[in-house]
Amino acid sequence: MLCLGIESTAHTFASSVIECSSIVNPVDGNRLTNQENLHARILSDSRSVFLPSEGSGIHPRLASRHHAEVSADILRESLNDAGHCIRDIDIIAYSAGPGLGPCLRVGAVVSRTLASFYNKPLVPVNHALGHVELGIMLTHASNPLVLLLSGGHTMILAFSENRWRVFGETLDLTIGQLLDQFGRANGLSSPCGDRIEQFARKSTGSYIRLPYVVKGNDVSYSGVLSAAKRLLDTRRGNSEFFADLCYSLQETAFAMISETIERAISFFGKKEVLVVGGVAANNRLKDMLHQACLRHSSELFVLPCKFAGDNGCQIAWTGIVDYLSGHNKVDVEKSFVHQSWRIDTVDVRWRRLT
Amino acid sequence: MNIMILASSPHVLLSKGAEADIYRTRWYGNKAVSKVRPEKSYRQKTLDFEIRRHRTIHEATMLSSAKDIGIRTPFVYFVDPVATEIVMEYIEGVSLKEKITLDLVLKMGKCTGLLHINNIIHNDLTTSNFINSKYDEIVMLDFGLAFFSERLEDKAVDIRLVKGVFYSSYVSICVDAFSEFIAGYMSITGEEKTQATLRKVLEIERRGRYTRTGGVG
Repeated sequence: MLCLGIESTAHTFASSVIECSSIVNPVDGNRLTNQENLHARILSDSRSVFLPSEGSGIHPRLASRHHAEVSADILRESLNDAGHCIRDIDIIAYSAGPGLGPCLRVGAVVSRTLASFYNKPLVPVNHALGHVELGIMLTHASNPLVLLLSGGHTMILAFSENRWRVFGETLDLTIGQLLDQFGRANGLSSPCGDRIEQFARKSTGSYIRLPYVVKGNDVSYSGVLSAAKRLLDTRRGNSEFFADLCYSLQETAFAMISETIERAISFFGKKEVLVVGGVAANNRLKDMLHQACLRHSSELFVLPCKFAGDNGCQIAWTGIVDYLSGHNKVDVEKSFVHQSWRIDTVDVRWRRLT
Repeated sequence: MNIMILASSPHVLLSKGAEADIYRTRWYGNKAVSKVRPEKSYRQKTLDFEIRRHRTIHEATMLSSAKDIGIRTPFVYFVDPVATEIVMEYIEGVSLKEKITLDLVLKMGKCTGLLHINNIIHNDLTTSNFINSKYDEIVMLDFGLAFFSERLEDKAVDIRLVKGVFYSSYVSICVDAFSEFIAGYMSITGEEKTQATLRKVLEIERRGRYTRTGGVG
């Protein structure tokens, strides 16, 4: 089975083809559609990232224009790389939310067009769930606590009774927003995480005090951002100071996350932690999470950097498992996008973990 | 530290919590618990020591403050802010995380209500921080994140955490459990305050990411 996945929630327009074979039950001849019996191969992974001008963030209108402009090329590239034509594709999955409305609509229009013209089943996929499911597929984690860290999410998830349940999350800004908005205040352009990490590495390691706000299993970043921006204003243009501030921001924000994940590990007694999402590409964060997990003899699963950020594979793969579990397929006229669509409202029927 | 050598006996590790290690020890012949906040290797040194020291001192103070208003908490025997250690009473009983009933959840609500009308915010209200002692009384633990506040917002964040714990970890009973908790809470704080807090809880949830109508679940 071939699935084309189209992703367009924020700054990335991506398309990917995944081939998946299920195993036939030798007793009754039925196909086994449990996730562990599926074998997936990523045939292609094409993307184009919208780059805002220096000092600005993702403007939804500009980003959606970018997506519209690159969509045909990215789609063609992903089919060519996979060595298939569109008629070979069995199902089309698209990211239906959460995300920026105008951007989501571009992906949805492309997917609806293909689905109706070529008469293929259309599967809406929750973008956050895509991160989680792809992470599990690539790392072979069996029953992990999941840390979803990106520009749109900062959540600790545990699977229970058919859904990914939110154990802890940010009460205001996400960790990606914190890094982006701080970086932009100093003229960087989103996404700023990578640049901030580079600046932090140049720091002498003198720690500047920032608010450290952990509320039980939740974190709050708005105070950290305000304090960091205010400090930035006191000594603008001083690159050493900026490096120290980047360092202190990372140390504070990541320590807060590491502490809450420790809380979750000791609460659930889980032996596996999986970190997914764009911010999972940060090396200092991974290092801190490693040490946090080590203390509880838990194993940390990290995605290859390439798959940490938004991509089409997460949509294609989740589309496949969702479709095979016999539950999800929409008519084109009902294929909406949802700017707000929490992961803990999605039924996950293919996963039998507790 | 001579006093420590005289008073306590070798430590036996009972459990490894999120931020502290709990040891079983003795204090002048009594069964006691030693709660040590070890250094966190991943945390920046200055930040790490500041957090550990602050929480240790704070926890000891708040354990006593909670006791003043009629909440059963472990007695504090000794505090060492440099070694970030608290020696306290050993409570015999079962953690609510091990065994939970709606009756116990009601009591959780009552304790929380009592804290809140006295403006104490616990800030880590998970089931693992309540013990049903062998004398059948609820003992509250872990005041490391607690603080004083009159703000409705802070009380609502406390309640939201309880809701989050029930909805993520006790899925099959979450609705009943949370309403039982609120019933207990309301019996102490009164209807008006409880409703105001619940409205604030919804407001905080709506502030969160991607909530369509507000509310978890």
